[in-house]
Amino acid sequence: MTTEILLIFWIITAIWIVLAKKTYRVMIFFGVFSLITSVIYLFLGAPDVAMAEAGISAFTTIFFIVCIEKYYSRGGGLKAEMETDAKPKNHFKVIPALLFTIGLCVLFVFFAPVQPEYIVNELRDQYLLMFMSDVGGFNAVTAIYLGYRVYDTLFEALLLVIAVVAVVHLSWFDQNKVSDGRHSEVEQSRMTKFAMRIICPVILLFGMYLVLNGHISAGGGFLGGLAFAGFVICRFLVLGVYDLPIEKAMKLEELVFINIIILPILAIFTGVIYIAWDARELFQNIYLIAMNALVGLKVAFGFFVLFYRYIAIERLPDEGEIDVVEFTDEGEDIR
Amino acid sequence: MMISQLLPFFVITPVLIAVFLYVFFSLKIVRIIAITVQAAFMIPAGWLLMSARETDVLVSVGDYDGLLGIILRADLLAAVFVFLTVFIFLMVGIYTYQTPYDRTKRLYLFLIFLLEGVLIGLFLTRDFFNIFVLVEVSTVVVTILLMYDRTRRNMFAGMMFLMVNIVVMQMYLFGLGYLYMLTGVMDMEGASVVIATMDSNQLALPYALIMTSIASKCSLLPMITWLPKVNSLTGSRFTIAAIMSGLHIKAGVYLFMRFQDVFGDIGMDFFLVIGVVTAVAGVILALSQTEIRLLLAYSTIAQVGLIIVGLNLDYEYSRVGSLFHIVNHSLFKVALFLCASQISYLYQTKNIQKIRGAFKQTPLIAVANIIAILGIVGAPLFNGSISKYFLVYGADGPLEWIIILINLGTILVFVKYATIFFGKPLTKVREEETLVSDTNRRGVVFALGAMCIVLGIGGVQAIYFLFDVPVTLTFGGYMEKIGIFFVSVIIAVLLYKYVLAKRTFLSKLNGLNLSFQKICVSIGIFFAILLVYIGVFYG
Amino acid sequence: MIGYIGGIHVLEIFPIILFFISFFGIITSRNIVKSIVCIILMQTAVILFWLGLGARISNLPPIFEYGTYIDDPSMIADPLPQALMLTAIIIGVAVTAINITVLNALFRKYKTVEWEPMQAQAFEDEKPEM
Repeated sequence: MTTEILLIFWIITAIWIVLAKKTYRVMIFFGVFSLITSVIYLFLGAPDVAMAEAGISAFTTIFFIVCIEKYYSRGGGLKAEMETDAKPKNHFKVIPALLFTIGLCVLFVFFAPVQPEYIVNELRDQYLLMFMSDVGGFNAVTAIYLGYRVYDTLFEALLLVIAVVAVVHLSWFDQNKVSDGRHSEVEQSRMTKFAMRIICPVILLFGMYLVLNGHISAGGGFLGGLAFAGFVICRFLVLGVYDLPIEKAMKLEELVFINIIILPILAIFTGVIYIAWDARELFQNIYLIAMNALVGLKVAFGFFVLFYRYIAIERLPDEGEIDVVEFTDEGEDIR
Repeated sequence: MMISQLLPFFVITPVLIAVFLYVFFSLKIVRIIAITVQAAFMIPAGWLLMSARETDVLVSVGDYDGLLGIILRADLLAAVFVFLTVFIFLMVGIYTYQTPYDRTKRLYLFLIFLLEGVLIGLFLTRDFFNIFVLVEVSTVVVTILLMYDRTRRNMFAGMMFLMVNIVVMQMYLFGLGYLYMLTGVMDMEGASVVIATMDSNQLALPYALIMTSIASKCSLLPMITWLPKVNSLTGSRFTIAAIMSGLHIKAGVYLFMRFQDVFGDIGMDFFLVIGVVTAVAGVILALSQTEIRLLLAYSTIAQVGLIIVGLNLDYEYSRVGSLFHIVNHSLFKVALFLCASQISYLYQTKNIQKIRGAFKQTPLIAVANIIAILGIVGAPLFNGSISKYFLVYGADGPLEWIIILINLGTILVFVKYATIFFGKPLTKVREEETLVSDTNRRGVVFALGAMCIVLGIGGVQAIYFLFDVPVTLTFGGYMEKIGIFFVSVIIAVLLYKYVLAKRTFLSKLNGLNLSFQKICVSIGIFFAILLVYIGVFYG
Repeated sequence: MIGYIGGIHVLEIFPIILFFISFFGIITSRNIVKSIVCIILMQTAVILFWLGLGARISNLPPIFEYGTYIDDPSMIADPLPQALMLTAIIIGVAVTAINITVLNALFRKYKTVEWEPMQAQAFEDEKPEM
């Protein structure tokens, strides 16, 4: 029953988001929406996904709020949100769009297939019965994520690397250094500083716990990495410690990614785990913990770079500063 | 070591090399390593092709039992595509070898290698979710390549591309969920076994969801007006446009074939119609362009429509003709883009109406260009004629005439394109360099042109070698096609000279732009029509 | 546990509703930030659908204690959708990060985050040289 009530709230929040006119409201509702989503995931028996959703939504919401803050508040930004009902050229009016969407939805539900009763989900049973001996650990999700389907995980890790490269390439600022006093515009009261001094080590400890226990309980490398990133970001924002330059972080991320590729090649693709039959369980645990740690480090560096770009470097150019460097094809060799 | 054990490394090696190049080496060494690796990669690709001719190469990554792991499988078709990918990337690599360096050359190589790896991965994988992951990676890589120059029109188009593709991939993932619910596996072969025993009215929704996204990937009807623009206009480099037109769209067509196999060829009539409409629309839109890359990109759409028609004719010869046409089209379209790049560099403009007298200015490039044109319009003895001959084999009655008309349209487009070779230059022209760099570039376009001729003369043998289907070419039939071709050429030249060159009514189509919301709605409409069609006719 | 409504499972009907709510949001929104948020909603809908597939029979998480012997695997939630959706979530966040960055850059160039004025300017840019 709880799940149904949550689902109804979930839908109501989504409707709020869609109908909201001010972007700030969209973001606030989005925060609520993500919270409800992760609780629903938990109720569906997916603690790993629930934790990932919670961690990520916190980051995403902050990214969005920082961006919107930049759009609306600084000099040269937008003065006010457009609230007039100008004649829509690109978007659709509410009534035709609503009719169209409802029509699609009815078609969708009408043709939706019924789950056949004769399929006993053999794959699920096989995974659950065999993962402990095949991959090791006690968390079936981690076993699939880092063992059976590690080939997918490589590309997913790759996508995060590409995202970081893309963000750095597409941001307007080509310099990676931050001039003094620019990097943090958060008001630093003594209270926050004091609290952060206490909280920061706890965050780090929590991250380490998640990484080291990823194969036997919910959590894992990704969440641990988010916690690490949170640790570095808190130090940077509140305490003003800047000991990890952005180039270094990027380079470290790529190095860790190379290791993420090489470790499964050594352990799984060539079957070292199977060769070492006597010490198999030990090898499996070492592999899982190492993989979780690598994924954690990579995510930490990646999110640190992303966050750093958004908070500290991404801003409107001041008077007299150069804007984005464009490469144009005028007179250049385009072949 | 067996080749099946090496199968994952076909994908992982380019990715690993990309990251290595990006992190470690200095710029001067990077390009040498890059070109060496790309050349050396031909050897395993050829080995894979030869092995796949004997038997399917199959591996479950990590040696897990049954369907637990991710299964990679190189049948002959996949091996041909892998070889084609490696070959095209090598050609483009040689072509851009001498391009002067800016700060981001390293990024460019990084992305190109990633794209190569991901495309090979798409051709090899047999896992539904792996396809999702790889398509997402390729979308992001292509987005960055499109926004490479960071001009505002590039970035806007790139953002549209990214957002539309995310929406479309969510539809794919939703359909995949239904497929998993119905079949309980994530593997193509396993799923098709279960699907064969199932009521087809159960399949309507997953089929419509998945096929809508795949159709958008190969820029069929709903995406037709803007995808070529995104693919070609943005990103000032011709090589990126060449890869997009020559390979990236083909990956969509490849996925289309695979999913048709999985679903047991339902909805063939629907896609036959869609293919015809796409081809006609592509021809008309190509005729309305004056930008050299846009013209080529829209003609790609027309050819993709033709390929889709051939694949859905339900006739062995037509299917093989389509497959061969994919290979041919990759070759001559890349050659066309690279020649256009060289010519447009010499004339410093991309407008067809401003380029005149290219034959005198740069005869060698012009010859290669004309070979590629003869290939694409299906002139006798060139590869396009063989593939088009087999492609129309299964068509009869009005459809055959429609295909002939489409080919007439293609000829018309390239008659328009060929005007750049004649006349006197209107603007100041750069001196052609006599350096090594231009020798490289000429060598590449000549190699591609030579492939067109070789595949044209030995077409039947090539089809047997590449697709393992023995075909026969009747002399009388071929002569008939040649006759039709020459009549078409005469009609096209007359039509161009007396009708098209004087009127500008088509140029109004040029300003056809859809907003993001309208694209989403058109995708929704496409989905609804497909869903109702499948649900009613196959239910 | 949760049951069926008129032949369709609850965990199927709610994701479908959310999917189309977000579709509605996409086609009516005039603000690009809102469009991006709607796309995230769409992803969430699909992810919930997948997780719902695995939890129809039981919602016991597939995580065990040391020395557990699994006698009846059908009483445990399906781990495969969970692992896949973990991947999908991370892909989603990477793509969103790129999207926001591009939007930032576009905002500096067009001085707006609304579709209407930005598209008008962009289509003006796209006209080929004459």
